[in-house]
Amino acid sequence: MLVWLAHILHFSFFHSGPVRTALLVGGCAAVVCAVIGVFTILRGHAFAGHALGDVSSAGGSASFFLGISPLAGFLGIAAIAAMSLEFLGVRRVRDQDVATGIVLGAGLGLSALFLYFDITTTSTTGAAVTVMFGSMFALSPSLIWPSIIVAILGLGTVSVLYRPLLLSVADPELAATRGISNRWVGMLHLLALAGAVALAALSVGSVLASALLIGPAAAALRVSRRPCVAISWAIILGLVAVWGGIWLAYESYYWFSGNAWPVSFFVVVIIFAMYLLGAPCQQLLRRRVRVAEPLPEGTER
Amino acid sequence: MHTSIFRIGSGGVLLRIRRLTAILAAAAITSLGVAGVVQAKIRAVGVENEYANVIAQIGGKFVAVRSIVSNPNTDPHVFEASPSVAIEVARSQLIVRNGVGYDTWVKKILAAAPQAHREVIVVQHVLGLPNDTPNPHLWYKPLTMPNVAHAVAAALSKLDPAHKEYFYTNVKTFDASLKPWYAAIAKFNDEFGGTPVAVTEPVGDYMLNAIGCIIKTPWNLQAAIMNGTDPAPQDVSIQNRLFREHAVKVFVYNQQVTDPLTASFLHLAEKSHIPVVGVYETMPTGYTYQKWMLAEVHAMRLAVTRGISTKVLR
Repeated sequence: MLVWLAHILHFSFFHSGPVRTALLVGGCAAVVCAVIGVFTILRGHAFAGHALGDVSSAGGSASFFLGISPLAGFLGIAAIAAMSLEFLGVRRVRDQDVATGIVLGAGLGLSALFLYFDITTTSTTGAAVTVMFGSMFALSPSLIWPSIIVAILGLGTVSVLYRPLLLSVADPELAATRGISNRWVGMLHLLALAGAVALAALSVGSVLASALLIGPAAAALRVSRRPCVAISWAIILGLVAVWGGIWLAYESYYWFSGNAWPVSFFVVVIIFAMYLLGAPCQQLLRRRVRVAEPLPEGTER
Repeated sequence: MHTSIFRIGSGGVLLRIRRLTAILAAAAITSLGVAGVVQAKIRAVGVENEYANVIAQIGGKFVAVRSIVSNPNTDPHVFEASPSVAIEVARSQLIVRNGVGYDTWVKKILAAAPQAHREVIVVQHVLGLPNDTPNPHLWYKPLTMPNVAHAVAAALSKLDPAHKEYFYTNVKTFDASLKPWYAAIAKFNDEFGGTPVAVTEPVGDYMLNAIGCIIKTPWNLQAAIMNGTDPAPQDVSIQNRLFREHAVKVFVYNQQVTDPLTASFLHLAEKSHIPVVGVYETMPTGYTYQKWMLAEVHAMRLAVTRGISTKVLR
């Protein structure tokens, strides 16, 4: 078994510096995105999550000519965008989509300007591809610790807000009568979401960030509607997608005589396959669940 | 320290003033030409400034040359043409461009503004290279510029037959001026042929081959850095090992195509005390083509013999 595993994994896999960095940073992104992704879908913020990813590209592009860490760039702009979404007024679902669309457009416009600055003022090459679609094997090892810290902060926020978040998802009015401020919960959730999106953008690129944010969580919610079960599944699926993608990209070096395919492609393919496979799972489970499953936690009526 | 800062500052201003006067002069000449008072100079564009330099050396006083891609702090691979550049290119009578996908945007501008008496020299075609030539940095190839100089003289003679002899005399002078560079190449090859080197991307590869160096960096990594695509982790590991195990004598670093990965290579090379030699996509300020090429070989020699880095050519 071990010999077989070693053969499959090529010994050099874990010895490679770029692979280790990718596994750690990508792993952080997968875990945080899985947990926050579940809440994001339950709250109906999937589009906002995607928009934050797109908008964060402005920060990623700016980081090149400002000479700051790309994580700081992604995080800064994602946080600003998250706050703007909240303040632009998102009372009704319809307004939410409009506000989100406006912020998204403005953010991508900014990245067009910043990418232009990158090209015309610095010798940076491939900034557009790196920012939009990620380049996990080119990540600097100095990003490992900042990524872990952002991940811990994001997970910490969500675990503190766990019950209020669920309650405000299930029944905002009841949550309000219990003294839970929807606005604060919503804002903190959006900030945690910004952290998750920044990590995802750093790993698979800002355009593909929503795949990592929404994909594993959506597949997990097909398996179970119970939040804590869904979160556990989402973490597993997210890690399988990211680490599996890294491994496939590493292996593709041997398939195409040295021309390895991009990591982000493999990650997204795995996520898509998971979502498709989630449908038969869902049908299979529904039959059982109709008899057995209790109401989701925190939704007592 | 202060004087040097002052000098750099005033140099920049001087340069700007000089550029401005050149533009004004060009404008004046055009208006005069229209009036038919004096014969206007031939308007020529060397898309990359190394080619503009060669045009200027061959055309001399009968040609007004401009270069488009000349900023040493940007990457020409991702150059975006502005409308004023498009006008400049469309108006010129002689254009020299590199080809091999390096400056395809020029082709589009020219197609959009057809002109009957326009001479276009594509260096790739002058050298008879196919479109899928992997390394587009033709100016580091020792045999490129004599051929370009010849093609420029032929094109100028077509545009201005009266001064044909003048142009061809300049070609002879140009060819002769390349001799020190060729001698330096031959000497390096004799003494240090087979020196293992690492590179970031392939800009200097033609010269490194000419002086007999062995490029240890995997081609796919060079191509990934040049094109800004995902590098394979296996290749990154190979490159890191080259530095850590001192398997290379020199790290040839492209100043104009950089990203976090090339920065990490530079850091590792310096930590491993491997001398660094800077190479360029465009001719650095204050050089002629010949002097630039000679300086590169000289920098390689300094690196190999005394372990001295020449990161930036001044």
